[in-house]
Amino acid sequence: MLIACVLLSLVALVLPSPIRSAVAGGLRGTIVVPLAALQERAEVSRRAVLAYDASVRVADSIRLQATQADVAAAENERLRRLLGLGAALTWGFVPAEALHGRGLGDDYTMTLTVGSNEGVEPFSAVVAPDGLVGMIEHVDARSSVAIVWPHPDFRVSAMSADGAAFGIVYPHLGAGATRFLLELRGVAFRNELRPGTLIVSAGLGGVYPRGIPVGTVLSELKTAEGWARTYLLRPAVRPADATTVMVVQPRRAKEGVAAAWQTNVDSALRMVVAAGDSLARRHADSLARAERQRLDSLQVLRPRPDSGDAAAPAVKPPITPPITPPITPPNTPPSTPTPAPRPVP
Amino acid sequence: MNFARGFWFTFVFLALVVLHYTLRPVLEWRASIDFLSIAVLLVAVRARPGVATVVGFAVGITSDAMMPSAFGAGALAFSVVAYAASSLKAAFFADNLALNAVFVFLGKWVGDLIFLAAEHRLGGSEFLAQALLWSPLAAAVTAVVGLGVLMVLRPVVGTPRG
Repeated sequence: MLIACVLLSLVALVLPSPIRSAVAGGLRGTIVVPLAALQERAEVSRRAVLAYDASVRVADSIRLQATQADVAAAENERLRRLLGLGAALTWGFVPAEALHGRGLGDDYTMTLTVGSNEGVEPFSAVVAPDGLVGMIEHVDARSSVAIVWPHPDFRVSAMSADGAAFGIVYPHLGAGATRFLLELRGVAFRNELRPGTLIVSAGLGGVYPRGIPVGTVLSELKTAEGWARTYLLRPAVRPADATTVMVVQPRRAKEGVAAAWQTNVDSALRMVVAAGDSLARRHADSLARAERQRLDSLQVLRPRPDSGDAAAPAVKPPITPPITPPITPPNTPPSTPTPAPRPVP
Repeated sequence: MNFARGFWFTFVFLALVVLHYTLRPVLEWRASIDFLSIAVLLVAVRARPGVATVVGFAVGITSDAMMPSAFGAGALAFSVVAYAASSLKAAFFADNLALNAVFVFLGKWVGDLIFLAAEHRLGGSEFLAQALLWSPLAAAVTAVVGLGVLMVLRPVVGTPRG
């Protein structure tokens, strides 16, 4: 049996290529079909597993890029606003990176990467595009330390944006989340401020120039003082978010910086108006498109003159005259109806 | 071999053939497990040399159908290995596990050497690398798996006759 099998194998080995291929093809087409199918499915499964791994890797990298894109977009927006503030201030400021430690007491101070070499002086205001951050307390050659508004010693004379009410802003020394709010104390009792009123620095005291946003009114606090009001403010800037700030130099502060934030407010207002305009335009476009589609559908239903289909119902769009409002001159009295003529007896 | 043992033996043989065409392509190891060798050796230690040779030839020619360039090489290798294994089983196939592993290892390696020599595809350093590096590695992996199969199968189909 061994000799027969070996001989058959040797014959198979030395067969001419076409015959060998034909015999192998015959086997593949009959008894090897199920095995070949099994092998094919196994290889497809393997490729699918590998492709799944690859697609998961691609999806993960895309997700990571999307996350980084959001962070980059936020950073870009923040820096753009800072550039806008720098352009508005024009001169007399020092841009700085704010280093936040995460230790005890770091909620009250921040270290800036600029110092006296860059022209920073003690008691200079530290600002961000959103408003007031704090004040320089200590200056080294290459760095400086600023107290930020949650610091218990922080004070700034402030007023409402319209200049009607004045007071002093303190950190709100409450408990829990309200610890990171501000208080506007000493507002004259006759000056009632509505929630949402913008409070800006008043420029009194010589440290903080006039017109820097400090916060917005949240509510009035009930106090024992009967002669003045105290308001709770939402700060304009969260110190933790202020990673890049500007140190306003004292000589620039004397010149006044209110216009810088007014420019910012104006640009924000322009953006809101532009957004509103685009919404209105889009609404008008969608209305016009719907009307055009309605007219087109009616046009389809209308019979063609050459079709000869007399039985088809002729549907015509209703013709409505344009409705025009009566035009009346603005200063003319409304017309009175003419009385009917009396019958002559 | 009674009917139940014959059924289980046939089932395991077919399962090994199926694994060769399903698990092996999925693993795609360079030194891969040769389930066909295990199946042929399993038959060889339980059948007479003539029957084992025919089974080896059938398995070999079936596997050759997938690669017409070496058509006949697998049949030759499996026929010789099956005949030799069936003839030498009294010497090799004892209760000693290490001897069983050596049996499977040698069966696979010798089969590979015959196949490589018969197909005439590789030459020089490639042939040496395949014959002396990858084939022994594949034979070792196959021996480990074959040993597991034999250990699982022994209580079901009993010890082979000498």
